[in-house]
Amino acid sequence: MDISLQHIDYRYQANTPFERLAIEDVSIDIPSGTYMAIIGHTGSGKSTVLQHLNALLQPSKGIVKIGDREIKAQQKNKNLKHVRQKVGIVFQFPEHQLFEETVERDIIFGPLNFGVSEPVAKQRARQALKQVGLAEEILEKSPFDLSGGQMRRVAIAGVLAMEPDVIVLDEPTAGLDPRGRKEIMDMFYTLHKERNLSTILVTHSMEDAARYADQIVIMQQGKVVNQGTPEEIFSSPVELVKMGLDVPEVVRFQLKLEEKTGMKLGKIHLSIEELSAAVTEALSRGVRS
Amino acid sequence: MMEKMIFGRYVPADSVIHKMDSRSKLIIIFLFVCIIFLANNAVTYALIGIYTFFMLGMSRIPVRFLYGGLKPVLWLVLFTLVLQLFFTKEGALLVSWGPIKIYEEGLRMGIFISLRFFFLILMTSLLTLTTTPIEITDGLETLLNPLKKVKFPVHEMALMMSISLRFIPTLMQETDKIMKAQIARGVEFASGPFKERIKAVIPLLIPLFVSSFKRAEELAIAMEARGYRGGEGRTKYRQLSWHLADSLQLVLLAMLTILLFLLRS
Repeated sequence: MDISLQHIDYRYQANTPFERLAIEDVSIDIPSGTYMAIIGHTGSGKSTVLQHLNALLQPSKGIVKIGDREIKAQQKNKNLKHVRQKVGIVFQFPEHQLFEETVERDIIFGPLNFGVSEPVAKQRARQALKQVGLAEEILEKSPFDLSGGQMRRVAIAGVLAMEPDVIVLDEPTAGLDPRGRKEIMDMFYTLHKERNLSTILVTHSMEDAARYADQIVIMQQGKVVNQGTPEEIFSSPVELVKMGLDVPEVVRFQLKLEEKTGMKLGKIHLSIEELSAAVTEALSRGVRS
Repeated sequence: MMEKMIFGRYVPADSVIHKMDSRSKLIIIFLFVCIIFLANNAVTYALIGIYTFFMLGMSRIPVRFLYGGLKPVLWLVLFTLVLQLFFTKEGALLVSWGPIKIYEEGLRMGIFISLRFFFLILMTSLLTLTTTPIEITDGLETLLNPLKKVKFPVHEMALMMSISLRFIPTLMQETDKIMKAQIARGVEFASGPFKERIKAVIPLLIPLFVSSFKRAEELAIAMEARGYRGGEGRTKYRQLSWHLADSLQLVLLAMLTILLFLLRS
């Protein structure tokens, strides 16, 4: 499902002394099947953008297109259920949304709300639980008896069980240990490939953006300041540093290497494997010449 | 969703009211709540009204903001009016329309009581709008200090109050966040049949309770870690200071009271 934001503004607490323009003239296109990372500092407006992706917020100006549904400013928007089923959001610290008596009931809560029958929903719960790497035994446990990491996975399973076409992730790995982080991120990536989903990842981590995304959007003070493929974005590291953002370690290493040795590696490499292959090649060429 | 709530919210501004000592504001509100019951005719209600709007004007709180925030309460005021209109059966009959009969006394009482209600809400909102929660509790603690003699836990009360005031915005944020998370999972809070809407409250309330208990525990641990051991021998960083303006405000209120006594029927 294609999503497109066209020149949207969003004002928090309009017409009060606390009024604040959170995002301004933001245009982002997310064609079906894209893995997009939105990067920015705290307060850059990325979470606000994210909430437009399934009509939790209505833009103060501009149009949001979700599939064939259009959400415009100053207009009553009813019957958004369909949109919300198609676009699943994993919020920051999603474990805060757990409430049911058992893990199973919590996971099937979303599907049931969207009119899936109970047996099918239970089926999906089992599948989702497997996807997030939990054993079926915990289905009958109370979600509040689980560890923090397990709770996070259960909450994620609750969104996956809705079987959305688009998954929006708001720093899904915040507060997890490095191994849990990698497992969760890899899981989302596999899912993205297998089900041909669109994935939108809001993150601080340049490493994650470089590793998984095909498109990167950089936001600063409520505006989109840069947009492109990871190669394009990270090829001008000076600009990123100027914005106070970091460059992935691999890229930093490559730039230092080029600077120190005068070696030219052509394009920017985003993974250690790619870079080492390029360096090996460059070195062997160097020896020959 | 909860953006328009103004209860317990502080709106910073540079006004006479903002600068007043919280003790004088508390005293004024307390006395105001008492003397409003002195009003019993058009003139005295007009006086109270003028006083209320005068105070509002001095506070420089934007009227549009106030109106937006108080709109839900206005319905309550209206409800009071309607209740009085229909259920007081004294005085001359004014309107008789089928089973609906409105009497003169009902109209009078309805207007007066809802006005009283309205002014009370305005004045008390004014207190929280112009005074930070910390100032309110500091003021209250000093005012209630004499009660310590009879073993009343003044400090604990004040602390409890400041914690609850402090966490209103946090809880509202949390509510907003969880609501959105559940809406994304297909819950409808704002539409659908009444029964469904009541049921929709459960996925909101349980996470809120859970996080509140967690927060309470964390706060208690943080306080202990910083050596909190009650109010004994505790000094204050913020000192309250009483100015001429505070005395003037009290004089103004005293004058209002005298006028009310003279003009009430």
